[in-house]
Amino acid sequence: MLSLYRFLLYLYPAAYRYEYGEEMAGVFRELQAEVRSEKDGKRFWPRATFFLREFAGLLSGALHEHSRAITGSDFSFPSRRFTMRSEFRFPKATPILMAVILAGVILAIEKATAIEQSFPLAYPQQLPAIQPEHFTFLPAMAVIFLSAYAAAVIGWAVLFAMRRSGMHRLSEMPPTSGRN
Amino acid sequence: MEALPLTEPVLLILLSLAEQPRHGYSILKDVEEMSDGRVTLSTGTLYGALRRLLEDGWIERFKEEESSRGRQAYRLTPIGRRNLQLEASRLKHLSRVANLRVARKGF
Repeated sequence: MLSLYRFLLYLYPAAYRYEYGEEMAGVFRELQAEVRSEKDGKRFWPRATFFLREFAGLLSGALHEHSRAITGSDFSFPSRRFTMRSEFRFPKATPILMAVILAGVILAIEKATAIEQSFPLAYPQQLPAIQPEHFTFLPAMAVIFLSAYAAAVIGWAVLFAMRRSGMHRLSEMPPTSGRN
Repeated sequence: MEALPLTEPVLLILLSLAEQPRHGYSILKDVEEMSDGRVTLSTGTLYGALRRLLEDGWIERFKEEESSRGRQAYRLTPIGRRNLQLEASRLKHLSRVANLRVARKGF
């Protein structure tokens, strides 16, 4: 596992790996030895939890350091912001999250198409042939992303306008019967 | 730059270093102990936080002379200690307000 950990350290930018790589591997070695020596260290779940936590931390750390190297600022995944902010606000990180989700969906479609093409069809004449050259990845992703982003901006603007106008509080108002 | 209020892992890392200088493994264990096992940091998370704190000048790194392996250890700088005190004061105030409000609600 230590070899795998050292191998995964290559996901980090070189400068970071040079500075902290050995130290991180040393701490991982100590933690691993401790998990093995514990009473339940030979059981599956405690060990699985430990490795899962370590490798997930390593991957998210590498992603964080790369995004920092690209953008020059510390990026943090916006999950906490989503839960803490009002649903009427439009978090700045939403486009990033949307781009990641869309990229995942499009990659899945690409993979599914490739798998489908690898199987021989029983009746090939019944289905139109998929022309891979007609489906280019980046333009398709850009169009989908822009459409989704525009829809989200419009939706947010409507909600924001409703919020500012106080419309969402209309239901809280007492009935005005008896007036006029 | 680390801004106040601090996230819980960063606060726990700073609290761990407030008592004495520590190396990575010792910080992880102390954080776990301080939080009663609720916060368990991975090495990736720990070193990401340490890197930011080092860059901001809140902590500094030095070679542990006592250790035969010459491990790197970390300690708080005066800036880090001052910011930690500020955060502790903020939390103390918040805790006092929360206690008062909760007690008042009881009547």
